Amino acid sequence: MTVALAARSAPAATRGQLALAAGIGLFLFLFLALPTAMVVFVAFTEKGTGQFTLVNFVDFARTDLFVRSFWNSVYVSAMSVVWASALALPLAVLTTRFTFRGAVLIQTLGFVPLVMPPFVGAVAMQLLFGRNGTVNLLLDDAFGFKIPFMEGLNGVIFVQSLHYFPFILVNLSASLRNIDRAMEEAAQNLGSSGFRLIRRIVVPLAMPGFVAGASLVFVKVFDDLATPLLLNVKDMLAPQAYLRVSSIGIADPMGYVISVVLIVVSVAAMWISTLALKGKDYATIQRGGGGLGRRTLKGWENLAGHAVVIAILLLVLSPHIALFLLSIATIWSFSPLPDAYTLAHYNRVFAESSLYIKNTLVYASLAGLIDVIVGTAIAYLVLRTRLVGRQWLDWAAMAALAVPGVVLGIGYLRTFYGVTLPDGTPLAALWIVIVLALAVRRLPYALRACMAALQQISLALEEAAENLGATKARTVRRIVVPLMTGGLLAGFVTSFSTAAVELSATLMLVQSNSDAPLAYGLYVFMQSSNGRGPGAALGIIAVLLVTICTLASHYIVERRHIGAGGR
Amino acid sequence: MTGAERRPPAVAVQIRGVNLSYGATHVLKDVSLDIRPGELFAFLGPSGCGKTTLLRLIAGFNTADTGEVLIDGRDVAPLPPWKRDVGMVFQSYALWPHLTVRRNVAFGLEERRLPRAEIDRRVAAALDLVGLGHLAERRPSQLSGGQQQRVALARTIAVEPKVLLLDEPLSNLDAKMRAEVRRELRELQQRLGITAIFVTHDQEEANTISDRIAVINDGRVLQVGTPMELYQRPSNLFVAGFLGTANILAGRLVGTGADRAFEIGPDLRFPVASDVAVTDGAKLVFRPQSAAIGEAKAGQAGLPGTILDLEFLGATIRYGIRVGGTRLVVDVPFRSGEPLFAPGNAVTVSLSPAAALWLTD
Amino acid sequence: MIGHIAAALIAGLFAASSALAQAPTGKVTVVTSFAKDVTDPFKRAFEKAYPGATLEVQNRNTNAAVKFIEETKANNQIDLMWASAPDAFEVLKGKGLLQKFQPKATGIPAKVGSYPINDPSGAYFGFAASGYGIMWNERYARANRLPDPAEWQDLAKPVYFDHVAIASPARSGTTHLTIETILQGEGWEKGWRTIKELAGNFRQVTDRSFDVPEQVNSGQVGVGIVIDFFAFSAQAAGFPVKFVYPSVTTVVPANIGIVANAPNKAGAEAFVEFLLSPTGQEVLLEPSIRRLPINPAVYVKAPADYPNPFKDARFQKMITFSADTSESRTAVVDTLFDQLISFQLAALKDVTKILHDVDAALARKDNAQARALAKEARDLIAAMPLTAQQASSKDVTGAFTGAKEKGARQAELEQQWAAFAKERYAQAKTKAADALKLVR
Repeated sequence: MTVALAARSAPAATRGQLALAAGIGLFLFLFLALPTAMVVFVAFTEKGTGQFTLVNFVDFARTDLFVRSFWNSVYVSAMSVVWASALALPLAVLTTRFTFRGAVLIQTLGFVPLVMPPFVGAVAMQLLFGRNGTVNLLLDDAFGFKIPFMEGLNGVIFVQSLHYFPFILVNLSASLRNIDRAMEEAAQNLGSSGFRLIRRIVVPLAMPGFVAGASLVFVKVFDDLATPLLLNVKDMLAPQAYLRVSSIGIADPMGYVISVVLIVVSVAAMWISTLALKGKDYATIQRGGGGLGRRTLKGWENLAGHAVVIAILLLVLSPHIALFLLSIATIWSFSPLPDAYTLAHYNRVFAESSLYIKNTLVYASLAGLIDVIVGTAIAYLVLRTRLVGRQWLDWAAMAALAVPGVVLGIGYLRTFYGVTLPDGTPLAALWIVIVLALAVRRLPYALRACMAALQQISLALEEAAENLGATKARTVRRIVVPLMTGGLLAGFVTSFSTAAVELSATLMLVQSNSDAPLAYGLYVFMQSSNGRGPGAALGIIAVLLVTICTLASHYIVERRHIGAGGR
Repeated sequence: MTGAERRPPAVAVQIRGVNLSYGATHVLKDVSLDIRPGELFAFLGPSGCGKTTLLRLIAGFNTADTGEVLIDGRDVAPLPPWKRDVGMVFQSYALWPHLTVRRNVAFGLEERRLPRAEIDRRVAAALDLVGLGHLAERRPSQLSGGQQQRVALARTIAVEPKVLLLDEPLSNLDAKMRAEVRRELRELQQRLGITAIFVTHDQEEANTISDRIAVINDGRVLQVGTPMELYQRPSNLFVAGFLGTANILAGRLVGTGADRAFEIGPDLRFPVASDVAVTDGAKLVFRPQSAAIGEAKAGQAGLPGTILDLEFLGATIRYGIRVGGTRLVVDVPFRSGEPLFAPGNAVTVSLSPAAALWLTD
Repeated sequence: MIGHIAAALIAGLFAASSALAQAPTGKVTVVTSFAKDVTDPFKRAFEKAYPGATLEVQNRNTNAAVKFIEETKANNQIDLMWASAPDAFEVLKGKGLLQKFQPKATGIPAKVGSYPINDPSGAYFGFAASGYGIMWNERYARANRLPDPAEWQDLAKPVYFDHVAIASPARSGTTHLTIETILQGEGWEKGWRTIKELAGNFRQVTDRSFDVPEQVNSGQVGVGIVIDFFAFSAQAAGFPVKFVYPSVTTVVPANIGIVANAPNKAGAEAFVEFLLSPTGQEVLLEPSIRRLPINPAVYVKAPADYPNPFKDARFQKMITFSADTSESRTAVVDTLFDQLISFQLAALKDVTKILHDVDAALARKDNAQARALAKEARDLIAAMPLTAQQASSKDVTGAFTGAKEKGARQAELEQQWAAFAKERYAQAKTKAADALKLVR
């Protein structure tokens, strides 16, 4: 589809750009569109006869439950964006606009909530915030009341905001870092300061990053099924799709109809965010000069700043704290804290599961790498070329966000299991297929980061390189990519770390224990009462792995920045 | 524009014993300056000399380690940038891309919570002043460099600051534009009667429009004066070399009384009267137009040399002449029909001792 | 590698000389919903018994496992399907994805409780029995002053309001059997009444079987309706939980079946034989597994308090479970449960709470009119949009399978049923509220 569109390109497109677009289009077609279509076409067929029909969509609109679910999903997604922004904004501003001790650590820790291993994460959240979790047991004991953190739609909003706010944090921070300090100083010079300055100058200039992050949060919350299910909220769209697709014996098109709706809404949300930013030239700096103005906080400001940061971090990291406790707990049941502590779970995990850890590192790194390469290519094609239909590449890639993992997993089996290698092994049985599935699932994250990064690089810098005799391809390699490093790294880290804990698609594709990633190991542990501790231990290891990688990459970005800055 | 008449009287800016370091780098070294009310004052120096840092110090973006900055007699150290009421035009203009020209110019007025009508009036006036009233609804990215510069200027003067600071205001403009804008700038400053300080590395720019100049190098103020003073009586070699072209000859003082002379090389001496004070290690400095080519007249000293090259500058011809081991330049008025010297010709450079300056580093 | 195969061959020769017809070699691939804690001991024991074979375990939930086998049938790489829910095996059998086999194991009776252990056509075999019952957290019960439950009906009492969890039968094969057991034991109308009365006290309807024991273990929910081994293994792990079999329950076997076109058929058969052999059956007694062996002789080695369905009188009284009835209306029952209970839980709980208050007030001071209103409200809640006959009729089931005889599309039926329940629950609420006004 995209390939065909690209072929009728404007004369401005070079042969290389066409080839690139065709390659990306083929990649998306083979590993996203085709497998999804293999499953989702059911939505357009009549049950039993298999004839084409649109009646299923009429049924969707006529069913109260689905309509209610739809609006609940919209409400929860929008509110999650609001609360996630409230959490992300102070962290992003404090760490990028001020000399703040431990800024790198904060940026890293602020990212960690995204890395919540499946299953164990849910248990840990319940143990902390559930009706009989630590907080409520203590509250009940001391004051005789409980707070319904995890009840109903508000519970979903609470958990989703904590979970997904890093999307806004990461993108917003990158944006803030790229605002020329003179922009802010000019405002100060004209009498603006404090909150007004942030509202009038910093916020609008950081908009591309914020919108990128916010649209991710919206779509992600809209498509997330795990959290509502954990909180037993069923009247939302994604859980409804899951409940239907995962029931056996029911060849029911409605699950796929909901999947189609999810995909359409996600693409629409992305499209609207693109429209919102259209025509705004936010290439505010010529990088290499100017750069970031950081102020030092004094006295009480410093104290207040740290208090805010610590409060937010404690809140967003509380699930991980609970997870850690769980991983060293003997029994933790209806009590604020575990009964006793042990390291036995870690012993068991190291004895049984080191293979999972190694596999995860390999898969997630490869997936992240693929994502950054494809993401940069798409961002470049969309923002810097005039290929006809280039936007479709963007939208198609973003649609991956909305394809439920289960659907993609089944789609991969349908598409690639029939294809066999010479020795009879099905293609789908190779571990590289897991990597591809992960890469496709996480591509939207990396893509948004690459887009934001490229958007902020002044075109003049590229023109300068071309003027000095560099070809388009060499300009990209020598100028654009190095300048995008921060954004690319952010994209890689997001892809990598979320891929490391991805479950739904991989579970379907794991063909043998020796190829299984960590999330699969978690799943296996979390099927029994005995496995709770080891599961949590494995979860903590996953979180640590991702954190260390993230910390390292932040460190590299910061160092590069300090090296380039300073007057 | 009627703003000029209503303006409060211009204020003085004083800088007293300022030192400033970034880590181990000592950027400003004991800087003291007195900028008079209504003056157009230039900080002139090579890049990295600390002139922009000094400007940002006045604006409040840097903090001095020691010393103070007084605006209108008041120490501004406790004031944050947004309370200082000094308008700054940034080198990059720093126009906000998300706001139209009008909104950019209105920004500072809005921050001062002025009534809407007043804002509209003053925005219109400021834009008219820079001749951009018709582009008010454009976005900065739709403007040329010169237009952007004017918007930045309009944005700053719209708030009627006490002091106007300009950071390399002309550096992003082409040569023709630069001459035009700098004249406009001067005119505007005169009309507004505002104290203005601008930073430049271009001596011609400083010379043409400023009332006085502070020459800064390596974090120190080397000399303060009117352009003419600095040209005629530079206080050291750096100032002499930085403002205009200067011939510099190294040597040593020999002899006493009537034999007192500056020995530039073997058999190359420049007589020095006994009443002329020459510090130890001083060098002989003179401007290209102070010397002539031809036999020394009475009271002049002649230095033998060889023509190396010549440049036609219109009204003058500039000869490059090797004297001893040094290349000197001498400007000779161009009169059509007069024969020119050719490279290789042996000539004498004649110079009257009164035109000679004795300067040290 | 070659040495490995040679060793396997030699082991095979030795095995052939013993009672086994064919010796297992190489990799035996099993897809299972069982936890690592269950599969690991079997893997160890099996590989010890057959040194030439390795057991490759692929862990998937039951639904995913069925889907996986279905999707990959063209190039099947799986030897065995190993899971609890008999209906998953029925689905596979129905699609011809299971291979018939006649195990040689002896000493296994035809039935456990009243449920046939093996599929009559030989497509899959029971290897362990499981009963359904009630599990509760002792700490939670103490803190909330909950009495120990004994029967399903107990859970409908006001004291359990908002304290009970169950998995949705649509997503949990085991819960489906529990619901079906109640429906068959008490009859369609009365059964649904019981289920809805229980449901009025539900804290949540989870989407995975294991979520219920997990919630009870962690004390987020007090009481759970679960399959026995979840409770037993939680006890073995040290959680403060208890379990009871109500009198209306059944034991059903957990099963294993050989996948059609199994790449290692001999290995697959060997594993089935091993599972049914006394050695294999004894593995079930391990604390991390704790399932009921289907070989009565093995109970000799069990701990003293181990339930024995072949001896324990309770199990003998258990009702006869008709797998055919269950199979004929699986989708209908599951969908009814979701549309009437899972997705309407808030409304159902709302009215149940008021009815509990009415009961409490009536106990203090009787009021005939209020009593009548409360009964009307209860009848409204219990009302079903279709009868038992309709539930099994082609007209209705056709909507779920896409058969030609269908009367309406599934989505239409769902909307009808949901609207039916919504309306009845709202009416019931009005009546209950009126009753409450009378007794206040």
